[in-house]
Amino acid sequence: MHQTKSGRQTTQTESSIYLNEAFAIWFRDLRSEFRTRYALNAILMFAVTTLIAVSFSIGSFRIEEAERPFLYSVLLWIILTFSALSGLARSFVKEEEAGTIDVLKLCARPQAVFLGKLLFNLTLLGALELIIVPSFILLMCYQINFPGFFIAMIISGGLGLGAGTTIIAAMIARASTRGALFSALSLPLLLPLMITCIKGCERAAIGISSAGWPEVKIAVAYFVIMITMSLLLFPLVWEE
Amino acid sequence: MYKFLLAIWMAVIIVAAFLYAEAATGFPGETSRILFFHVPQAWIATLSFLISMIASAVYLAKRHVKADYLAQSAAELGFLFCVLATITGSIFAKATWGSFWNWDPRQTSIVILLMIYGAYFAVRSAVSDPNRRRVFAAVYSILAFVTVPFLVFVVPRITTSLHPENTMNPAHPGMDPKTLKVFLGSLFAYTGLFVWMLRLKIRVLAIEGLREPKFVNRKSDRG
Repeated sequence: MHQTKSGRQTTQTESSIYLNEAFAIWFRDLRSEFRTRYALNAILMFAVTTLIAVSFSIGSFRIEEAERPFLYSVLLWIILTFSALSGLARSFVKEEEAGTIDVLKLCARPQAVFLGKLLFNLTLLGALELIIVPSFILLMCYQINFPGFFIAMIISGGLGLGAGTTIIAAMIARASTRGALFSALSLPLLLPLMITCIKGCERAAIGISSAGWPEVKIAVAYFVIMITMSLLLFPLVWEE
Repeated sequence: MYKFLLAIWMAVIIVAAFLYAEAATGFPGETSRILFFHVPQAWIATLSFLISMIASAVYLAKRHVKADYLAQSAAELGFLFCVLATITGSIFAKATWGSFWNWDPRQTSIVILLMIYGAYFAVRSAVSDPNRRRVFAAVYSILAFVTVPFLVFVVPRITTSLHPENTMNPAHPGMDPKTLKVFLGSLFAYTGLFVWMLRLKIRVLAIEGLREPKFVNRKSDRG
């Protein structure tokens, strides 16, 4: 981070400095995550446990065929959202606990910190979805008639999930009660996204050809709006 | 002085709502009279949410403590009126649709609104440093406001609403002139009540603010 900021400032444009700093934070977080695997373990264990509980108690034939597309999509998104909420706050909380937050403030611009943490959270979400969604489909015999739409929905939903929670994580890290507060603050913001994703996955499973994929568009719009607002508001949270 | 005028005006409106205005046709019995109470409550809830949001943005830009007092007071009153609107709405739902709660889009969005308000108070109670608390609350309320358009566009996609819109919309030409008179009077009364409560609440917060410690050990927020 030091080299990227000090030496090359004169030759680089402003935006590439932001990106360099963001990537530096991203790679640093990835490296420390590979060493400790704290966040990934927490999220994955939560997700796997929930998935097993759901699969064990419902099984693949308990729900009637006509109800499956909708109910499975609800279950999938509940698992994904709550697993994400169980571990995403970690990215900022660990800085606060290790006392590295002041150094990070000196090293990088607030927006770059936000982007770096967002990229890290999106990486975690990607890993989560990569493992949970196929296992869910296999365990529950979830039949999807429109796979392209389904995959797009999962990806755009994950993007929205990361964008909506990262700034909340930054706030939570500096509050006195952290655990439950993160979910309590994130959920109201995520509900519109969740409703959209559930609807989208249901339609993908049924196989209704939806021209233009409206749910994916809504989720991507949510992602873009949340990132824009976060980039505007994050410096205020970060410097407070 | 205006408090007493407001009390008299409120009393007149309540009497008029039951005796002067006629019950609208198309609704079972006298149920349409809920219009005079439910709609102004919902209107006040919306108004105070908006005020809270604008005051939050002003606080972030200028850092005037008064803007934060306004944001907090408006949010608390908005929550109160939102709860009232939810209760009256669900009584009306029982009388006309047959159940107190059926996740009509209107009910869904009002519940999410209540959750957002609840989370806003959770932010406030979780941070002990006053300045940080104000900034975080303001940031949260702006973030929450950004998601509201999604609720307006997304939730109605799920089901069709049973909420009476055309028959009871004041802009609708079909509204009875007597009803319109009482309805506008009621809106006025509720807005007056809201302004009075808001000013009281801001004064309370300002007095509480005087007792606030000037320097807070920020370490306590990291425990």
